Amino acid sequence: MPRIDVGPTTLHYQQTGAGPDIVLLHGFTSNLAMWMFSGIVSALADRYRVTCYDLRGHGLSEAPRDGYTSDQMAHDYLALREKIGLGPAVMIGHSFGGVVAMHTALIEPDAVTGVILSDSYFPGLAHLEPNLEHAEVWQDLRGTLHKVGTTLPSTIDFDALFTVIKNLTPEQSQAIEDDLGPAATRWLSQIPQLGETTAARETFEAAGLTADALRRIKHPVVALYDEHTPFRATCDFLVENLPNAVEDVVPEAKHLALLENPTAFVELVERYLKRLAPVSSEPPPAQPTHT
Amino acid sequence: MNQTDTVFTELVELLRNFPGREYSGDINPDTLFFGDLGFASIDAVLLGEMIQERFNCEFPFHEALAALAKAGASDLPVGQLADFLRAHLQDASAGR
Repeated sequence: MPRIDVGPTTLHYQQTGAGPDIVLLHGFTSNLAMWMFSGIVSALADRYRVTCYDLRGHGLSEAPRDGYTSDQMAHDYLALREKIGLGPAVMIGHSFGGVVAMHTALIEPDAVTGVILSDSYFPGLAHLEPNLEHAEVWQDLRGTLHKVGTTLPSTIDFDALFTVIKNLTPEQSQAIEDDLGPAATRWLSQIPQLGETTAARETFEAAGLTADALRRIKHPVVALYDEHTPFRATCDFLVENLPNAVEDVVPEAKHLALLENPTAFVELVERYLKRLAPVSSEPPPAQPTHT
Repeated sequence: MNQTDTVFTELVELLRNFPGREYSGDINPDTLFFGDLGFASIDAVLLGEMIQERFNCEFPFHEALAALAKAGASDLPVGQLADFLRAHLQDASAGR
């Protein structure tokens, strides 16, 4: 199995294709499989070397008790990068994965050629998002869990979420699956290991990636925010304050564009990659003619 | 035993011995990877890695998953996975 010891932990990764390096970083409580299910790996692998990996505590990577800030995760990536020999890469990050990508660009600029953000919330910009704790995505989740007789706080609290999920009965898990489909079970299954860590607290720390630090990132940044994003103010800040950022909108999505509108998301990524990581468009050499 | 039976049988053996999963029921071509076997998405990735090891080939599991999503399906019958694997092995042996 492709696992790499990066020092403080061991990371699980997948790589396919050939060409300029593209790195995919999933969000908090997700895993690398989300990229494969969305079709983006298949869409890019014919002209890029696509690497995706499970952040520490997620998927098939190890789950150390602590070390879940974006700063630590950026260092995880840099160690992974060195171990498997990646070149400067365009980093595509969903939600917290985008925070890790930007933190990497901040601390090791030469490792990154550009960043594509998918609906990322930055702890260092928390002051811009006073309504975060009431985000619709949380209220949806709260409603789902309420139907099976459990209670989540009205504001975002991942520690509470982890506890609720850890204590679900098989009947409650089945009811959630009946309500949301197999995707819910896939997501729920990895939550317990995160509940044993400090991730719920540390992923919400700025860890040095403040508003001023973000302003210093000169890389090309594409802010792909969902049509119904809870983080509109964050997107506006990035476009107005970063020296080289543009924005675009993924229609009919409200935070999980990869699941909610994968076709539009992949098309937008491919469009921007033509600028961020151009690939030679020369036609393949002619085949010899046999007569 | 023809190749069709062999690929399916070996796939079932991998599924029965999957780390951390216990499934003692019947596994047939219509058995659903997620709904019946209770697998998670990351399990699909791990299964892809196990297939690569078992069949000693590079197995583009991401293509199977992408095709699944593109078809609007939310689950994967084991028989369909065996078909995909069989086609891939045939392509590989033909050098395509």
